[in-house]
Amino acid sequence: MSAVRLSTTALASMAVAALIAFAQPVSAADERTVKIAGWGAKSGPLRSFGVNSEAVLKAAVQSINDSGGVKLGDGTVAQMEFTYYDSACNADQAISVARKVESQTEALIGIGPTCSGAAAAMYGIFQKTVDDESDTGLQFPILTDTAIRPGLAKKSQWTFRNVPNEITMYDELFAWLRAQYPDAKTIYGGTETDQAHSKLTFAIVIVPMAKKHGFEWVGGGIEGVTGKVREGYENVLEVSKSSNWLMADTNFSVQARAFKKSGADMMIVSSHPFTTCGMLKEMKRQRIKPKVLVGLTSSSSAETLKGCSAAAEGMYIPTGFAPITDAAAKVAAAAEANGGSADLHSAAAWENAHIIKQVIESTGIMAKPETLNDDRRKIRDGLETLVKVDGLMGDIGRVQDEGESVKPYVFVQADSGTWKVVHDPR
Amino acid sequence: MGDFWFEFVEITQTIGDGLLFGATYALIGIGFTLIFGAMGKLNMTYAAASLAGAYVGLAAFTLVNASALVVFLVSALASGLVGFIVYVACFRFIPIDNHLAALMASIGALFFIDEIIVHATDGSPLTFPAMFDDVMLELGSYGIRGDLLFVFAVCIAGTFGLLYVLYRSRLGLATRAVSQQDVAARLCGIDVHRTNAVTFVLAGLLGGIAGSMTAAAVGVLSPLITVPLTIKGLIVTVIGGLGSIPGAIAAGLLVGGLENVFLYFRGVNERDMYVLLLLFVFLIFRPHGIFGSAIDRD
Repeated sequence: MSAVRLSTTALASMAVAALIAFAQPVSAADERTVKIAGWGAKSGPLRSFGVNSEAVLKAAVQSINDSGGVKLGDGTVAQMEFTYYDSACNADQAISVARKVESQTEALIGIGPTCSGAAAAMYGIFQKTVDDESDTGLQFPILTDTAIRPGLAKKSQWTFRNVPNEITMYDELFAWLRAQYPDAKTIYGGTETDQAHSKLTFAIVIVPMAKKHGFEWVGGGIEGVTGKVREGYENVLEVSKSSNWLMADTNFSVQARAFKKSGADMMIVSSHPFTTCGMLKEMKRQRIKPKVLVGLTSSSSAETLKGCSAAAEGMYIPTGFAPITDAAAKVAAAAEANGGSADLHSAAAWENAHIIKQVIESTGIMAKPETLNDDRRKIRDGLETLVKVDGLMGDIGRVQDEGESVKPYVFVQADSGTWKVVHDPR
Repeated sequence: MGDFWFEFVEITQTIGDGLLFGATYALIGIGFTLIFGAMGKLNMTYAAASLAGAYVGLAAFTLVNASALVVFLVSALASGLVGFIVYVACFRFIPIDNHLAALMASIGALFFIDEIIVHATDGSPLTFPAMFDDVMLELGSYGIRGDLLFVFAVCIAGTFGLLYVLYRSRLGLATRAVSQQDVAARLCGIDVHRTNAVTFVLAGLLGGIAGSMTAAAVGVLSPLITVPLTIKGLIVTVIGGLGSIPGAIAAGLLVGGLENVFLYFRGVNERDMYVLLLLFVFLIFRPHGIFGSAIDRD
């Protein structure tokens, strides 16, 4: 009797043990996660860009998980996870992070980097054309949030961006300024020449777009600048050589005097917040008061207002983000709660996380280690098929042969320490 | 004639602006040269420590709404403290003959301090209070920035103060004795480590003034300027003559003035190239700098 009882107990114990043993893997398999990687400048002087992007990405992932997570191809609902890496504002580091994430993690897609120069170099190590077996470049999808210099994403069919289109924005800005300031005829400006974004946007976009809308560079225009993007851009940099500066410059007296000497109706300061502030403060000291002051998209941030709100007063900048919709206001608040700030660069991280969710759910991603490469390819293909996605300020169009986006935008003006929306063409 | 006069005013104004701004380079150069004069070593952390002091001063401004004068004083004190810490961390325990170890330690400390600032501020530019920021003295066609004139005056006053300490005090006597022959100084009962530490603190005090003056002149403080200021300080120190305080002042003004001239005539992309060329010219044709003498340290 006792032997029977013992064997019954043993059998029951074995059955329970077997259940536990089999139940655990099944449970683990069910609890799949969608891993994504972000990277940007978390060290160095541009750290605020990385901090902001990470804060917004964290808020986005939290919001996706709070609303149920991401539905995978077999119907399982997975939570989204992200890891944020520091690539500084450095091409080598961005390349190194991209290689690491692609080869050593199970991330399905990457979001980053911060700087255009780093992005341009990093995109170069990706496979240029999908299915080209002779090209051993990285086969890993990227959806960049910050690096904004025009025309970068077409370097590879694996690289996509969700950044404002500066060509369209400045085109529309100068058209609007033309109407607002009919008396303004001439322009003059300067840029930080060691920053690819500032310099090229100034030379290939801003000055040509100003010309397109009837504003002439003082002294009779610039040879070769016809009003079309890129045309004559070397001459733009040549004529402005004494009014340009470098990103770490501290003395702007010569440049400001060149601005003053020009007597232009409209002045352009195409640089990031630190030197924008240095230059604007020097212009204020030299009592330079143009009819219109225009800045670079990247300066439409909290950093500029922290550094020189009084000197920046009145400056116009086009931007792809302002907390003017409920969704945008919610993201701005969430970013602040996470120790960052939502601006035209970082807000894209929110949109990117939701675009990724949408693509995963529409392409049947499995999020299993054995399907990693297939999943990455499906996400790339899914990104390529997108025509329109939801954005914080409205619908975002896609220009898929270039991997770029067409985002809604507004024009803001520095007004008493805030960026005030002065024109909303949406 | 009108065009000639206009161009003349432009060029002389450009040089004048550069000379005045060069006062900030001179202040940084003096710190480098003071430590080199005392120890025969380069303290690469100097500009970073100076800016760290300026950040502490800015914190005082932000937290208790301190006046600009108090901000400058707090900056100087904080930078003096950082100077002492740098001495202990990078120089005190490294054998006096091991120049490379001390140099590398101070380079490491430079980036360490810089990164602390970056993490504390997220790298954001911050408004720095200025004295006489809105003052512009107009002399005919010329304009002179009041704040830069103030920096220039502080530079001169600081230099005289430093020279007084070096040549009219027991501490200065000890510093000069250690710089000339540290073994003999030790035999005379001078505490070499204490003297070196005090030199670092003195240089730090001056650096804090330099850092806050630079930030005040720009109107914005950012970790972006640490490395360029270090490079400018080194150039000024070498051109002025390693160990020569009057040389650092002359070289600071020279570099500031020429930098603006190069910018005016050749543009920003070539400006620094010519400044570095100037450094090479000095290294080849006058390696002891403007006022330096042949290195005679035993």
